[in-house]
Amino acid sequence: MATAASFTFNARAATVGDFFALLKPRVMSLVIFTGLAGIVVAPGGINPVVAFTALLCIAVGAGASGALNMAYDADIDGLMSRTATRPIPMGKIARGDALGFGWTLAVGSVAIMGLFVNLAAAALLAFSIAFYVGIYTLWLKRRTAQNIVIGGLAGALPPAIGWAAVTGSLTLAPLVLVLITFLWTPPHFWALALYRSDDYARAGVPMMPVVKGKSATRRQILGYALVLLPVGLLPGAIGLAGPLYMAVAAIFGGWLVWDAVAVSRETDIEHEPAARRLFGVSILYLFVLFAALILERLMGIAPLGRATFGAWM
Amino acid sequence: MNDDGDQNARNERARRMRNIALALVLGALVVLFFVMTIVRLKGHVLDFTQ
Repeated sequence: MATAASFTFNARAATVGDFFALLKPRVMSLVIFTGLAGIVVAPGGINPVVAFTALLCIAVGAGASGALNMAYDADIDGLMSRTATRPIPMGKIARGDALGFGWTLAVGSVAIMGLFVNLAAAALLAFSIAFYVGIYTLWLKRRTAQNIVIGGLAGALPPAIGWAAVTGSLTLAPLVLVLITFLWTPPHFWALALYRSDDYARAGVPMMPVVKGKSATRRQILGYALVLLPVGLLPGAIGLAGPLYMAVAAIFGGWLVWDAVAVSRETDIEHEPAARRLFGVSILYLFVLFAALILERLMGIAPLGRATFGAWM
Repeated sequence: MNDDGDQNARNERARRMRNIALALVLGALVVLFFVMTIVRLKGHVLDFTQ
């Protein structure tokens, strides 16, 4: 197995782009988006500069989590084709430098959130970073097939952090948004794991297809997709979302289930075309759901059922 | 020798760019701290009616 020491042959050549890559910018963009939705749908107002700072802290905190994940998982990243080109296994950044970079950003983002936004948002941000690094990366990832299910909580929290940035507290309503991303994570990640299962097996990561087999993974993907479809509609029932969101959630939720059914019936187990399609559709699903939430507020479309479910707010 | 020279030039350029990026981030933080301080003070300090 490759060791961290073997990656450090020319860390002096690390470019700004290499450090930026440590932040997992694509994951970060989705986190910014879901965090923004939390800020936009929360009741009450927030100063735009404070909202910007909160979003910046969420983004940097997520980036810090990514950098720390890459530092602690450099050995397995080097063994998988999807992650072998990351800066640490490529020898562009020393593992210790990535650790320092990640922890500096983690502490900095939480401190600024606490100083300039509020303590509730800072505590939630600290919890999500600690959960992703401590519970997911260092503990569960190499030990259980439920790694990404439980670890998914960290990536699901940004809407709650955004909500807390506005209100200074946490109620059930933002947790529905958290629940959507939480239930979305298994079908999203296991679709990837289906067509990358050789990679994970080589690196010794106990992903679901490696441990329980592809058939069991396909059934579980379909199960999660079937639960996600109605849960995706919950924001309309609790007065968080309006008709535009409901239409989008129904259409794209149905699309997700349709592709999950295709994955469950896949016959080409070598190339896994249905799983590749589901992976792409799952990203689109989360993106359009939160885009619809934000768009409704910008367009002034009133949420459904607020009178009935006002207590949730 | 030539390869070493190229490598040194690349290292030097990478370090210069890292330093510029760090300076920009620190500058942005100074601006952020200033603006946020004003935003947080407003209403508490400038409101003379209290």
